[in-house]
Amino acid sequence: MKDSLVLLARVPAHPDSRCWFLAWNPAGTLLASCGGDRRVRIWGTEGESWICKSVLSEGHQRTVRKVAWSPCGNYLASASFDATTCIWKKNQDDFECVTTLEGHENEVKSVAWAPSGNLLATCSRDKSVWVWEVDEEDEYECVSVLNSHTQDVKHVVWHPSQELLASASYDDTVKLYREEEDDWVCYATLEGHESTVWSLAFDPSGQRLASCSDDRTVRIWRQYLPDNEQGVACSGSDPSWKCICTLSGFHSRTIYDVAWCQLTGALATACGDDAIRVFEEDPSSDPQQPTFSLTAHLPQAHSQDVNCVAWNPKEQGLLASCSDDGEVAFWKYQRPEGI
Amino acid sequence: MAGSQDMFDAIVMADERFHGEGYQEGYEEGSSLGLIEGRQHGTLHGARIGSEIGCYQGFAFAWRCLLHGCATEKDSKKMKALESLIGMIQKFPYDDPTYDKLHEDLDKIRGKFKQLCSLLNVQPDFKISAEGSGLSF
Repeated sequence: MKDSLVLLARVPAHPDSRCWFLAWNPAGTLLASCGGDRRVRIWGTEGESWICKSVLSEGHQRTVRKVAWSPCGNYLASASFDATTCIWKKNQDDFECVTTLEGHENEVKSVAWAPSGNLLATCSRDKSVWVWEVDEEDEYECVSVLNSHTQDVKHVVWHPSQELLASASYDDTVKLYREEEDDWVCYATLEGHESTVWSLAFDPSGQRLASCSDDRTVRIWRQYLPDNEQGVACSGSDPSWKCICTLSGFHSRTIYDVAWCQLTGALATACGDDAIRVFEEDPSSDPQQPTFSLTAHLPQAHSQDVNCVAWNPKEQGLLASCSDDGEVAFWKYQRPEGI
Repeated sequence: MAGSQDMFDAIVMADERFHGEGYQEGYEEGSSLGLIEGRQHGTLHGARIGSEIGCYQGFAFAWRCLLHGCATEKDSKKMKALESLIGMIQKFPYDDPTYDKLHEDLDKIRGKFKQLCSLLNVQPDFKISAEGSGLSF
């Protein structure tokens, strides 16, 4: 299991600071990192090594907590503790801040683009989730402010193909939103975690959602539509979400991030015990009650908490991770034989 | 002999009896004081919610007048949000504190107000009056 995850390179991405988050561009050629030094850095390969191609420095007054690429790869959004979200436009190796989205009352914790590229979601410690619409002229407009959570909202993520939004919060729940009659509404609340839910990831098909938590478990949720074959009860015409798998006993500390590989279906986790783990679904398991096996466990992947793991969208097995130690690491994952 | 046993009973049980009577008196007094305190709390809390919504309503009416007659597409989006907020405020059941979706609807009104401020490019941070009793919620 030790050889299933091999270190390719390590870079001091945000020296003397924390590296909070990573995002691969849709083409898989660039990696954006952001950190406590208020900067966003763009990394690319030059031969065998990873070098910093750009530094986005005049955007934020405080820590940048998350970054997200638009589906077309021409824009990058950065969410900051300074309560703003910057939208950067890519022009070759240069990035220019074209808009700053304001409105949240305090730290913005996450930002995510919808697959259509027309919608953006942000969430904050002010407990709200905002949905923004962008038009052809790069003008952003707030279309909804959702106050469903009762505490700090940590993460937002869009469904891979539908206009469906999910959010994770310090209130231990995951909430799902969709547009109904021109307004966004919360149509489901996923309860089960016993502590803060830190991150979310949809599987490649979008039928399942993985959540990770301070309660040291990863939960897999599945959507059941009304009149489903499995006989899962739904109220009216709303789909119902059920927890179909809980991965517990694998992590010794808070799990800060979970990433579901869109190419292979492998699940990677970033943990407060400085380790990276990878899980794969057992091929013979029942889709309604799947079982996952631990296929890689790398203790001391970093010298401090691992904050983020991100699978490259084009190159199978290429995984990037970052940590409170300010470093970004690149790994090659290979599914072990005989599993 | 039965008479002296009653007398001893009365002495022995006196402690428990007084305890019971004292509890009863205290309970009744506490209940009525609690009712008064609760009423005051309710009045204050209700007034806060009322003034918050009233503020949003005044804001919305004023902007509706200001935007009246504007025809651009952006303005029609603003009008839509305005009308939506006004509608929500008018539908709110002010005379039913036991309405089960009270806080949910209140959160929806607050969310719509925030969205409207974003569209109008206005900071939602009202501080009113010179006497220092600012309107902040």
